[in-house]
Amino acid sequence: MKSLLLAVLAAYLIAAIHSILAFINKRRAVQRVAEWSVAAGFVLHTAALVADWAIDGHYPLFFLRETLSFLAWALVAGYALILYRYKAQALGVFAMPLISVLTFIALLIKSGPQDTPAAFSTTWLFPIHTTLLIFAYAAFFIVFMASVMYLLQERELKLKTFGAIFHRLPSLSTVNQLATTSAIFGLTLLTLGIATGMLWSSARDGRIWHNDPKEIFALLTWLLYFLLLIYRSSASWRGRNAAWLGVAGFALVLCTFFGTRFLGGYHVFGLQTFF
Amino acid sequence: MVAITSLACKRSFETMSIVLVGVNHKTAPIEVRELLAFSDEACTDGLRRLVDGEVVREGLIVSTCNRVEILSTTKEEQFEQSTERITQFLDSNRLPLDFLGRHIYTHRDEEAVRHLFRVASSLDSMVVGEPQVLGQVRHAYSLAVEAGTAGRVLKRLVHHTFRVAKRVRNETGIAANAVSISYMAVELGKKIFDSLKDQSVLLIGAGEMAELSARHLLNAGASRLLIANRTEDASRRLAEEFRGEAVPFPEIGGSLSEADIVICSTASPSFVITEEMTRKASERRRNRPMCMIDISVPRNIDPNAGKVPNVFVFDIDDLESVISSNIREREREAERAELIVQSEVMQFQQSLRLMDLGPTIGALRQRMQEIARSELGRQRNQLGPLTPEQESAIEQLLISTVNKISHPVLNQMRRFYEASDPETMQELADTFRPEE
Repeated sequence: MKSLLLAVLAAYLIAAIHSILAFINKRRAVQRVAEWSVAAGFVLHTAALVADWAIDGHYPLFFLRETLSFLAWALVAGYALILYRYKAQALGVFAMPLISVLTFIALLIKSGPQDTPAAFSTTWLFPIHTTLLIFAYAAFFIVFMASVMYLLQERELKLKTFGAIFHRLPSLSTVNQLATTSAIFGLTLLTLGIATGMLWSSARDGRIWHNDPKEIFALLTWLLYFLLLIYRSSASWRGRNAAWLGVAGFALVLCTFFGTRFLGGYHVFGLQTFF
Repeated sequence: MVAITSLACKRSFETMSIVLVGVNHKTAPIEVRELLAFSDEACTDGLRRLVDGEVVREGLIVSTCNRVEILSTTKEEQFEQSTERITQFLDSNRLPLDFLGRHIYTHRDEEAVRHLFRVASSLDSMVVGEPQVLGQVRHAYSLAVEAGTAGRVLKRLVHHTFRVAKRVRNETGIAANAVSISYMAVELGKKIFDSLKDQSVLLIGAGEMAELSARHLLNAGASRLLIANRTEDASRRLAEEFRGEAVPFPEIGGSLSEADIVICSTASPSFVITEEMTRKASERRRNRPMCMIDISVPRNIDPNAGKVPNVFVFDIDDLESVISSNIREREREAERAELIVQSEVMQFQQSLRLMDLGPTIGALRQRMQEIARSELGRQRNQLGPLTPEQESAIEQLLISTVNKISHPVLNQMRRFYEASDPETMQELADTFRPEE
């Protein structure tokens, strides 16, 4: 499946380069190339995931290699939705290079000879749990990028510098709405992801909580985005503050995502190798 | 028939030249331009006089406050005479000719086409990207049509020009960013609110610039306009004109919380909107963003109001700096527009050459069909009685055979023509010329 993923990476790289070029010189033709490459990459990527599933015989979201590839795929899906709904092309400048890097790392990691333990491949709850969380991560990443764009544009307007960023980034209201919507999606997915995880774990060993670092970080993340949304809807925190929270929240998301690899705990399944 | 064929062949090589003579804001001061300008009637009358069908074949006059230009076509070898005729015509006020000569420019063929494309795309305008000039060219064309002086070549040229202008507008951001103070409110508002739909505007004070800004905002979709003025008469007058609501001047503080966009332009020597008022308004608005634009000197909005979160205050200098940044942006886009113009000029020149080729090919084809018909006529008696269907079937058969045989030859001619090799093409065409 390497060759298929290689084609995916090529499409994402083309999309990344053209997104950046289109951002700089604002040519619609270049932007169109970027968008078509995103579409082509997404289709190929979907095919690669399905093929992985069919060949390996397990849901393609368990090993780190698969996780990164799946995360890249979820981000592309999110970015495509945003392109369609908000026309926030500038997002591609941030998102596509990162998606390319994720895909590249996924390609680098050697696929181990191991099989998924039966405990993970026989129950349907576990894949649902991981899928929901991957999409939650993707949504939080979009909150992060929208928040960064908000802060950049807001700074430009407050300082009245009116440079390239002012001309190229979407309006404050667009990125604000984008961040809010993504945060709502992310929190919903995170809630469902945590709930399915608890269900799965209680079915497996009768416990729903293990005080494992990943669980603690997930809970903190949940609290932070919950607060963010409460603040946003109560309107006492708008704009800058909410955007900063969106940026800070992402640090927690990263901890949740990578935390276990360095801190160990229940969520380490003994099979994953990082690089 | 024979006569027509050879005539058509000859006519197609009587190549037409496009001539453009005129002055614009870069070459002539207003004192000269106003002497040369044409009213609508003067345009049509003048065109009828100018176009004699011999030296000047077709004509069109673009007369705006920034330019007076005459576009015409002539036979290639009569270029000099026609330029002279047009210059004299332009100088109907009998300015000393050497005086006019200093301001006038003459463009020929490719250069003339490029000039027209640039004018219509607003690349030659005082403010690059301004939208009016295309309408002015369109108007000039309709006057030429009215006068009956827009012929085959000009029609094609003008339609191509419209297409180029549209392309430039769509494919570059040449007109994307505002370059006037009054339009700045719309631009800044859009950067904050994305769309001005359903946004409320508070207009404080009056003055041409402020009114114009309000008008632009309403056109861009703003749904509500509040007007506050020290003299209530003025408020009421404006409220009536814009279908807005008049607000008593002392109650500005209260209305502030209802406004998404504030435009302030009064003669007050002190701040009309203070930081404190803004802070309170923002609180009542539950921190929803506000865009405040102060076009008064001395300033009427305390610059510290901009320190309130989600409130953006712009004074006249800020607006000027956005404008100069926008102008730089437009100039960058203009470079891309020039590339589009360049490629379109080449396309047009090519289509013009093909247009010359059209009659030659048409005449040749007709000549061959004529031969087929006359041969059929000669042999008709041998065929005995036929139904009309059979008769037309035979004719069709002959004509399609002739067409199929001549098709590759005609294509070859077209290729020579496109490769700028009219001599070889002519040789091919001559092969089919009947022997006299």
